[in-house]
Amino acid sequence: MITVFRYTLRRYRGQIIGWGVGLGLMGILLVSMFDSIGTQTEALNEYLSVFPEEFIAFFGDFTDFGTPEGFLGVEFFSYMPIIVGIFAVTIGSGLLVSDEENGTLDLILAYPVSRTALYSGRVLAFIVTSVVILGLAWVGLALPMSWSSLKIDPDVLALPFVSLLAQVLIFGAISLLCSMLLPSRGMASMVAGVCLVASFFITGLAKINDKLEGVAKISPLNYYQAREAFDGLNGTWVAGILGVTFVCIILAWWFFRQRDIRVGGEGGWRLSLPSFRRGAKIEGSV
Amino acid sequence: MSDELALSAQGLTKSYGRVQALRGVDLNIRRGEVLGYLGPNGAGKTTTIRCLLDLIRPDGGTLRVFGMNPQEKSVEVRARCGYLPGELQIDPNRTARGALRYFNALRGNSVDWDYVNELSERLQLDLKITIKNMSHGNKQKIGIVQALMHKPDLLLLDEPTLGLDPLIQREVLRLICDAKAAGTSVFFSSHIMSEVEAVADRVAIIRNGVVVEEAEPTSLINRAFRRASVRFKQAVDVEQLGKIPGVTVLSRDDGSSVLLQVEGEMEILLKALAALPVIDLETERPSLEEIFLAYYEDEGQEA
Repeated sequence: MITVFRYTLRRYRGQIIGWGVGLGLMGILLVSMFDSIGTQTEALNEYLSVFPEEFIAFFGDFTDFGTPEGFLGVEFFSYMPIIVGIFAVTIGSGLLVSDEENGTLDLILAYPVSRTALYSGRVLAFIVTSVVILGLAWVGLALPMSWSSLKIDPDVLALPFVSLLAQVLIFGAISLLCSMLLPSRGMASMVAGVCLVASFFITGLAKINDKLEGVAKISPLNYYQAREAFDGLNGTWVAGILGVTFVCIILAWWFFRQRDIRVGGEGGWRLSLPSFRRGAKIEGSV
Repeated sequence: MSDELALSAQGLTKSYGRVQALRGVDLNIRRGEVLGYLGPNGAGKTTTIRCLLDLIRPDGGTLRVFGMNPQEKSVEVRARCGYLPGELQIDPNRTARGALRYFNALRGNSVDWDYVNELSERLQLDLKITIKNMSHGNKQKIGIVQALMHKPDLLLLDEPTLGLDPLIQREVLRLICDAKAAGTSVFFSSHIMSEVEAVADRVAIIRNGVVVEEAEPTSLINRAFRRASVRFKQAVDVEQLGKIPGVTVLSRDDGSSVLLQVEGEMEILLKALAALPVIDLETERPSLEEIFLAYYEDEGQEA
């Protein structure tokens, strides 16, 4: 498992550099912008007050836009689940299936590596990659605070990142599970991507439409805290999201253990459901 | 007996949806034996090999590799096997050396690197080149090296000489012979008869997911039809020869010469020819390729 983990992590170097450094630089830019915005808070509040309710529902509470927490809540954390969600969906859907589709998994699984070890190594690499990327983003926000008027305690600044990490992991896990069930990586990405976007809209619209509150309860982003996390992280929500993530990971592992490894043409466009006949037919013979 | 078997499959079946790839494959490979697995594309060769490595799960049948069930002891089975897939794909961004180091790491760094260098030299493989810059043949060489580098007890080779030039093809066959001499069992699928004939102790012919023939190549050739070309001093009634059981007239030349195909013993034909004014008789045995093709011609006729 360690070998698989190490090599997978090495393969994700580009993702870590691209996403991590990109988000980090974005953080530096935003914190640097706060000083100039701080001098125009009143004018900005007046401007933002005319924004429609629907817009505010998606991007958080603008009333404390002039505070460091309010500013970062609107300018960074409000839409970050969609940005890093794209990373989660892309990596999650291809964690195993990209190798399956390009044919390299066929050779790797001919080595003395169990499917469980391969799966664990890959999932662990995904988790570590996500943590490092969000860690770099946190550094990007925390570092310029030493010379900016935007001051938030680094520990407190980490709280919305914990909530964000939980979202990255759940969408990665949903995507991974889809890739185990659906016939192709593309289809898995598409389904998981639709879940991500739908979750974003349902959660946002539920704030202005009571009828959607019921549906929003099954939306992962309903349990994401952006600005709110600065006032205290909801541990139950984080634990709940991580719990569902764990269930998805276990289910995907079970499907991966049961099913055939496909090469070009084999299996066709069928759902990759495990054969429940297997036990009965093989029993006593194999 | 089972201890002597490197591989044993009985009644192996596997379907992909409505397509039945294996319809009850029966197969045995003894330790230290080279088995050539013959069949055209889509006959079920690759499916059989992938079942052995637990990459796909058979629908039914019995499967043992060194007495172990690959589904229950997949890691133990794979530790003793070297595998070359039919459609080899390796991470294109690595060098050949990097890829082999990764494969070595997956085997717990148990490989003797001097042996890897020796194999690479024999196959004229430059380990420094990045895989994406390699030709298909050079990638195939990496596949062969990774299959052999840990000196496995069982080699599973799916068309090992695919894309290689004739010199390297010959070297690969030598490597297979060397592995056999070292006690390795070899199961290799191919549709190139000459290479199977050159190295295999036994051949198994698969047709439509069933092994229709399993024998030593020489035995198969001896048992099969042979061709007899006969020249006569004067024109004779060659139709009479065609009526002999097991004899088919392939061509004739106004009765003074005839080309016959003879299945089974030649005795009856020789007795019949003794009564005719024969001036020349030549017989030739078919190649393995002709025998193989005959199996598939039969299939076509059945269809």
